[in-house]
Amino acid sequence: MLRLTACLLLLMRLAAFGEVHPPAQVTAGKGFSISTTGSGDASFYLISPGHVAKREVKLGQDIPVDASDVKKAGRYLAIACGSGGCNSAAFYVMAAEPDKVSFFLHPSRVRVKSNDAINATAFVFDQFYNLVLTPVTVDFKVIPKTGPPIDRPIKSNLGVAWMRVASTPKQGPVKVIAEVGKASEPRVIQQVASDACNLRIKATRTAKAVLIETDPLRDCSGNAIPDGTIVSFTEIDGKGKTTVDVPIKKGIARTQLPVNGRAKISVASGVVIGNEISLGGGL
Amino acid sequence: MKAFLPLFIGLVTAGLVAMAWVESGGLALHEMRSAGTPQEAVEALVTDIQSRNWDRAYARLANSNDFEKQAFIRDLAGSSGSLRTYSSLESFKVWPVEAGADDATMRVRLNWSSAVGPLDDVRDLEVKKEGNVWKVVWPKPQFAKVPPQVIPVNYLRWDVIGRGPTDDWGVQNVDNPNVRITSMNAVERPDRVVIVGEVVNEDTVPAYVNVNATLLNSDSKPMDQEGSFDMISHTLLPRQVSPYRIDFPGFHLQQVKSVRMDVKAMLVPASADPVIAVTDQKMDKDPLGKNVLRGALVNQSGQTVNIAQVLADYYDANGRVIWVSDGYVDQALEPQVAVPFAVDVPDDVASKIHNYHVLVNHYSIHEGS
Amino acid sequence: MISGLSRRLLRLVGLGLPIALASPLLLEVLAAGSLPQVQLSAGSIEPRPIEELTGTNVARDYAYAWRDLAQALDHNQADRLDAYFTGFAKDTFTQRISDQKTADVHVLYVDHGHKVKAFFYSPDGGEMQLLDKAQLEIQVYAGGKLIHQENAAQDYLVLMTPGADRWFVRSLEPIAGSSF
Repeated sequence: MLRLTACLLLLMRLAAFGEVHPPAQVTAGKGFSISTTGSGDASFYLISPGHVAKREVKLGQDIPVDASDVKKAGRYLAIACGSGGCNSAAFYVMAAEPDKVSFFLHPSRVRVKSNDAINATAFVFDQFYNLVLTPVTVDFKVIPKTGPPIDRPIKSNLGVAWMRVASTPKQGPVKVIAEVGKASEPRVIQQVASDACNLRIKATRTAKAVLIETDPLRDCSGNAIPDGTIVSFTEIDGKGKTTVDVPIKKGIARTQLPVNGRAKISVASGVVIGNEISLGGGL
Repeated sequence: MKAFLPLFIGLVTAGLVAMAWVESGGLALHEMRSAGTPQEAVEALVTDIQSRNWDRAYARLANSNDFEKQAFIRDLAGSSGSLRTYSSLESFKVWPVEAGADDATMRVRLNWSSAVGPLDDVRDLEVKKEGNVWKVVWPKPQFAKVPPQVIPVNYLRWDVIGRGPTDDWGVQNVDNPNVRITSMNAVERPDRVVIVGEVVNEDTVPAYVNVNATLLNSDSKPMDQEGSFDMISHTLLPRQVSPYRIDFPGFHLQQVKSVRMDVKAMLVPASADPVIAVTDQKMDKDPLGKNVLRGALVNQSGQTVNIAQVLADYYDANGRVIWVSDGYVDQALEPQVAVPFAVDVPDDVASKIHNYHVLVNHYSIHEGS
Repeated sequence: MISGLSRRLLRLVGLGLPIALASPLLLEVLAAGSLPQVQLSAGSIEPRPIEELTGTNVARDYAYAWRDLAQALDHNQADRLDAYFTGFAKDTFTQRISDQKTADVHVLYVDHGHKVKAFFYSPDGGEMQLLDKAQLEIQVYAGGKLIHQENAAQDYLVLMTPGADRWFVRSLEPIAGSSF
């Protein structure tokens, strides 16, 4: 008899205690209701990764949850505390439709004709900046200054899609776009000339010195080496060695060096070595 | 009482005469006359130079009629914002080279303290006996004059607009320059381990470069980390090569298992000018018999370079970098004027040098770079 | 003659002095001990492999981030997030702490360790994604009263990005296990 009474009391207490029953899964930014059992007044807590809400509710009635309370994706805790104690349930909020792309394109400058040199990484987010974990197709479009564009559709994995592509032989800007649905993020990368090819110098005698200049500097694909690139001239004569680092200006590096008697003049740019010329005495 | 007035007038007159003697340089003349030896003459002169008493120093010269006092001051105090203008004579040492009855050659080592550290200047001075006094014959200052001319400069400069601090993650930025260490060599010195090598800017934009090294012990644990500080040309234009040197005082190579190198490069605004030629480079000895790399710097641009630092790296017969040394030039580099320099080289290194590469760091007040 | 009280006092001083002297060391050990355990594996990472030093740094900084997050949520102090959180993660948790204060709630995480798998490391080294299987004991307090307690095996999707001297947590999203 005593045991039966205890069971009845426990059942009555549980009824007043109130359980919360949220849906198993909810989409971010969409309102819904959490059903409850029991009766009486209770404090309701909604605890999410980025938000905590508290309000007074009646147990036994549905608790409406506003769309603004479920913007962040992740695990949520719904807790109801009534006179008999607290009860809780967990549920997940999933990201909404893809809406934004964070797009990383590297490097911002790349040498022409380099394999797998351009790296593109796209993170797919919904409108609340939740990573979209379901696979979606990210369209990467590579549009060089000259030549046909390249299309690369890539499926995302846990919110990220990436690809690599080679640079083309012509220098200049290359536009790369990452697209997911309506979201489109363009970036521009500069393709720059490679090392100098056939680095050659010539010397002209002036009244007191020798004027040394390079032929117009180009890489092996015919792209002009950019102005400002350093060309190192070395001259060895009877008085010793003379060196000068000269920046290319208007496609040519040029300098004037005093020469004492016979001299040998050579040229280099970075790790590229050019021709060597010999000058006789008489200056 | 009768005798008081003449006595008083006599004392006052004597006092006035003494004051006039001092004012008219009589004391200086006395001091000068006290230069009874070549050593004293040079020491008295350099003491005046040290206290920047130019009038008295100039008055001590045997050949002051040969040049203006201003030229003498400029020779010692510097001009055009050169390193010497920011220096002071800390100490000096004088010793004889040759001594005769009426003339002698004295060698003086001047130790200047400057913003970049101590600078040594060794000069041989001729000293002559005039009556009972020894006087210094100061080498006539030579200042090259640049003929009036127009030097065309196709001004080339890079400016950078980077990503703002408030921009979102994922906004495109310009990448840092691509630089590469092309050589590295750990060298044992008596009191330290020194890491030397070269770094090249492989990009098409200027780079601000710093090279750091970490010594690792037998357990691959870091023992010490140091940077290249001023033993590198920090601003490297595209394809430019700079030597670097990193010192680890108090370490020995036998303690070191390996060295971890780290090069950092930042994109910076820079100018391609001025262009400085390094002429007449050769290995030589200085007056003290030490090995030096000599040469001259010629500023090929049209604007004065106020302070120049010469950085040199030395290669052995296998093309390996075996040492890096530097030296500041205390004269300003006027356009088109050759300014000599000499950089110390340790004796044991000098015998192994097969080739060398010289680079010039420069600072101009106008450019701020 | 030393009385019993004096003897006890002496014993206390004798015991206390070495502890007091060693206290900085003790604090350091305690501080090190209070760091959550993080085991990082990067066997199947793509497209670029992870350097050994980077792996060590990521694991260390992720552990520091969890330590700071737990303290921030327990004491409702958003400034504790400054050292190892940035971007979305920092904004999200800062907002949550502000809400916790309003609702008079604080949450205690008792951290039993993290098994972390790095699966994406961008080619330029600017982003790393990780999956974390965390063992946590979560206690929710409202008005100082415990209202919820659970032992949870929680999965997290983590995005970390490098800063000048450390890796920052940029996104820390609890996800359902089925997402793996």
